[in-house]
Amino acid sequence: MALLEERDERFRNLFGKSALFVLVALLGIGMTFVWSEVKKGAFTAKSPVYFVADSGTDLSEGMPVKFSGFKIGKLSSLTLDDRGQVQVEVNIESRYLGLLRQDAVVTLIKEGVIGDGVLEINRGSEDKPVLEEGGKLRFEREKGLGQAVTDVKDRVMPILDDVYRTLHDPQGDVNQTLRNLRDFTNALNRDATPMMSSLRQTATNAEAMTGKLDRELPELLQKADATMDSLSKASGAVNDALQQSAPQLPEIIGETRALIGDTQEVVDSLSTTWPFKSDDAEPETGPVGMDSHD
Amino acid sequence: MTRLLLCLLLGVLAACGSAPAPRLPAAQEQAIAADRNARRALREGQLHNARNGFATALRLQQSLDDTHAAAMTLINLATVTHQLGDDVTALSLLDRILLEKTGIYPPESHLTATFRKSVILTDLDRLSEAESSLKSAEALCGQNCAVRPSIEVLQARLLVLKGDAEGALALAQPVSTRRAVGKEEQANAMRVMAVAEERLARYEAALQHFTAALEMDKALGLSARIGDDLGGMARTAEKLGKAREAKAYARRAALVNESQQRNNPAVR
Repeated sequence: MALLEERDERFRNLFGKSALFVLVALLGIGMTFVWSEVKKGAFTAKSPVYFVADSGTDLSEGMPVKFSGFKIGKLSSLTLDDRGQVQVEVNIESRYLGLLRQDAVVTLIKEGVIGDGVLEINRGSEDKPVLEEGGKLRFEREKGLGQAVTDVKDRVMPILDDVYRTLHDPQGDVNQTLRNLRDFTNALNRDATPMMSSLRQTATNAEAMTGKLDRELPELLQKADATMDSLSKASGAVNDALQQSAPQLPEIIGETRALIGDTQEVVDSLSTTWPFKSDDAEPETGPVGMDSHD
Repeated sequence: MTRLLLCLLLGVLAACGSAPAPRLPAAQEQAIAADRNARRALREGQLHNARNGFATALRLQQSLDDTHAAAMTLINLATVTHQLGDDVTALSLLDRILLEKTGIYPPESHLTATFRKSVILTDLDRLSEAESSLKSAEALCGQNCAVRPSIEVLQARLLVLKGDAEGALALAQPVSTRRAVGKEEQANAMRVMAVAEERLARYEAALQHFTAALEMDKALGLSARIGDDLGGMARTAEKLGKAREAKAYARRAALVNESQQRNNPAVR
């Protein structure tokens, strides 16, 4: 029996209303949690498949497995077996398992030059059976940036060693050249004073020559005028000759066309030859090598 | 002279300004790209990727009715499959060319496929089948085809395997001295001669031939064959009573084989 009679309508069934509010809130939280797990793929059926790697370097749990650029699963566990090999389990979404064949290959690649590692899986041969749950895949490792740097280093270091040896060889070309240059500079220093006096003499001679030119220039200008008159007359004569040779112009045009034809041939030849060729390199053809002992 | 220079100048200008070559249809470009990727993978030792690439190229080429390219890709696919140790599949791929009765594949692909089938059958120790296949290859080849030296070396190898060491020597010796056949086949011929001499119990000569083959194989960087040569040297040195040298050769062979297996686990 209630101690106090509740007269306010708003507080009637207060416990029921509170319980309903809490229930709705819990339901909301629960649905949000379920929805986020669904989005993460927690309720998607997955099938484990396995491969053996030579080392666990660059492999980590949770690493995505991609097929044609789409994430279809992730690396779920890495373990070291008795023989020191790395046993890797990946979980693939079961709906994608049918796309893969039993000889599909997993390749560890980098996304971009220095990006995160990703396991890229290819389809395999069409004539092989579909990959089943628990199946085994082959694993290959793409050459990474470190390998590329090592390759470059292996090529560059011998060159640098050669350069070092060349620079430090007392009888080498570089040291001989430097010695010759030093001797030449010493000789130049010795001969500089006589050379300067010779230069001064040359300047004096040039000054005298300029004075002479000032005196003789008016006479030279008069001769130039006469030459220009002669040129004008010659130009008139050439003009007359051109008028007379007008009927031969079609022949000249024909020769020009032949010249353009020759040019086209040269262009055609050049356009198939490096460096004018714009197309990609010709693809390799012919069978790959195999001899009598392969 | 001026005319030539003018032509060259115009040629350079036209080449710079000319439009790029038209693109091939998408499927054809995909087939070329798949083939190119497969060859690159093969060069880098990624045999599984190479096999998948050739399989893709083959599918696309067949869908485009490009029988010449498809024949070449079938041969390449068989070669990679053989390198992966799946000889049964490799032989069935080659048979797809050889058993095709309608003649859709070019004759040169028949020759290459027949020869490669002979090599695989020899590796499988199916000697009579290999011999029969090699005879077909010889008939297709005639006197002057590109694989003639390889055919002769394989004939010599078959003779050794069948116990005719003298016959093998007679066949391999001329090939080993012919430079035009290429260093690989010269080294192969040298190795056949070494094994033949070993069978004839002429161990000094065998050791010399194995040493020569080893030098050539080292120059070519062929690990598996370096291992074979060293193994042969170990055997013959032991027969000659050079136990210490034999032990050293055997150790070197083991190291080479072990490292080769580690470098290239996909290869048998």
